Amino acid sequence: MDESRPIFVQIAELIENDIISGGLPEETQVPSTNEFAAFHRINPATAGKGVNLLVDEGILYKKRGIGMFVATGARDRLIGQRRQRFENDYVGPLVAEADKLGITRGQLAEMIRSGEGSAE
Amino acid sequence: MSAVVEVRGLSKNYRTVTAVDEVSFTVEENTIYGLLGRNGAGKTTLMQLLTGQEFASSGEIRVFGESPVENAGVLERTSFIKESQKYPDDFQPKHVFASAPWFFPDWDAGFAERLIADFRVPLKRRIKKLSRGQLSSIGVIVGLASRAPLTFFDEPYLGLDAVARQIFYDRLLEDYAEHPRTVILSTHLIDEVSNLLEHVLVIDEGRIIVDQAAEELRGSATTIVGTRAGVDSFVAGREVLHRDQIGGLASVTVGRLDPLERQEAAELGLELSPVSLQQLIVQKTNVPAKEFEVKS
Amino acid sequence: MTAVQTSTAAARPAAGSGSRVIPVVRLHFVNRFSMLVLPWIILGFIFLVNLAIWWIVMSAVSPDADRADVQEGLQWSGASFYIFVYMMVLGVQAIALTFPFALGFSATRRDFWLGTSLTFVLLSAIYAAGMTVLALIEVATGGWGLGGRMFTALYFGGDATPWFARFFLFFATFLFFFFVGALAAVIYQRWRVNGMLIFFGALTVALVGGVALITFSESWPAVGAWFVETGASGVVAWSLVPTGLAALVGYAILRRTTPKNT
Repeated sequence: MDESRPIFVQIAELIENDIISGGLPEETQVPSTNEFAAFHRINPATAGKGVNLLVDEGILYKKRGIGMFVATGARDRLIGQRRQRFENDYVGPLVAEADKLGITRGQLAEMIRSGEGSAE
Repeated sequence: MSAVVEVRGLSKNYRTVTAVDEVSFTVEENTIYGLLGRNGAGKTTLMQLLTGQEFASSGEIRVFGESPVENAGVLERTSFIKESQKYPDDFQPKHVFASAPWFFPDWDAGFAERLIADFRVPLKRRIKKLSRGQLSSIGVIVGLASRAPLTFFDEPYLGLDAVARQIFYDRLLEDYAEHPRTVILSTHLIDEVSNLLEHVLVIDEGRIIVDQAAEELRGSATTIVGTRAGVDSFVAGREVLHRDQIGGLASVTVGRLDPLERQEAAELGLELSPVSLQQLIVQKTNVPAKEFEVKS
Repeated sequence: MTAVQTSTAAARPAAGSGSRVIPVVRLHFVNRFSMLVLPWIILGFIFLVNLAIWWIVMSAVSPDADRADVQEGLQWSGASFYIFVYMMVLGVQAIALTFPFALGFSATRRDFWLGTSLTFVLLSAIYAAGMTVLALIEVATGGWGLGGRMFTALYFGGDATPWFARFFLFFATFLFFFFVGALAAVIYQRWRVNGMLIFFGALTVALVGGVALITFSESWPAVGAWFVETGASGVVAWSLVPTGLAALVGYAILRRTTPKNT
């Protein structure tokens, strides 16, 4: 767990990642709060807070007496959110820094393409 | 949620020292609390006061709404495991586990048996001849299997190795999830337990200096490292929790930073690193970090 | 002590007395061997040693007149004193070790003291019964065939004492040793070495003062007469006064004592 951010936020992100990667398909049951707590060795109340965060956002929903399930359309919504965040958090600063250094958009695009190549 | 423990203006004076100094706090039901602080800060005295083993000099204590002193109705719902617990000379661990159910109405014998196997406690050896770790295991088993609605663990794992401590944390979490209760855990291994805690009380020189939800404490401080000039200009006007300096470099801990401030720091070429709960408490109680390291 | 009740019913402890007097008694007896077996083993061993001594002495002394002399001397046997000292040690340990342990099990001091007192009474009864039976056998067999005296020594009333008087003698003596041992241990638990020094200092002053008083008022004959008049049973009956005092004072001190863990 990352020390700088609340654990419940990190738990919510872990579940989100599983939904995006397909590890938790829509309409399947997610592990219980206590299972999350035992697995990550964290306080069950904290794990519950992370799960509830996703319930509030409509990513998960509660079936009475059974447990938590992934909502239909949750994956698309999460990907949409993440793309938006990617644009804000990464692309924005990237372009700003490129502008500062006098890198044109064309050069930037070329760099990304060649960076992609070297990463392979 | 209702309060299990309410303390108002509590003090305990010994002849020459004030062990607990005008302390006030409440403990909510079904929550895991960390009672943290240096050795001699007053942790044990405070727990002894809450369990009626020690007598208050002044102030008020309510446990389950009543004074715990000589109160059988309150005490039978309380379990207090301390590192220095004495056992009768001729006792073997089996005697401890045989008599525990007579005192703790919620004792779970099956759970105790499982824990005895987990911790590999020899049942038929004189307690005097057990190792420090085995002795600690007995306390941990009694504390968990007694399932008291209010359970105190005072440095419960002296001499336990990392594996045994992990077993303790795992069993505590599992059993707490199924049988919620109020747990007050006092320890100096703060990093190990910080994820288990829901609420943190820090006591220093007999006073409560932190009484906060663990999640609020996380990220409530950040250390900024960089050139002295850069760091100084960034932290100007902020409350500095801690400061170190080597030559032209400075490392300063301040309170929580918002994303804009983080960006500003990054633009100044400063490095940011999170402060763990342990570091935070070390800095707040102003002691050398080694006091919180593993001693076994 | 009466607990202050709050107005909220929900905050009140669950129903049930919460009293742990009987659990404390069971706790004292949980290791049956050291409470109920070991003392008899040691007593048996001492008895065998005595038996051997009696046999050696009797074989070495031939004229009947000398034998009678020896038997007269055996009336003063102190062999069985060990068992009373052992019980005093149990009384000390009940406080020094079982008290911190019982409080660790969330017992109240009141329940601990009541349960411990009850345990002392039970143990006194058990051992007094056993020793009464042994005394009867001793009388019936003419001192185990050797004229030996271990359970019918003179301060236990000699051999003409009825069984119930014997039982009472043993019982009250056991109680005395238990509670005096417990009281000393309570004082130590509360005030450590300083308490011990003051306690034994005061005891010594009281005893020396008493002796001085009797000596200077030349009342030793009167004291001797009192002992003869009162008899063993009477003296032991009087011992119930210090025993009872030790029990009350012990509790008064224990009520404000925090178990020491060092």
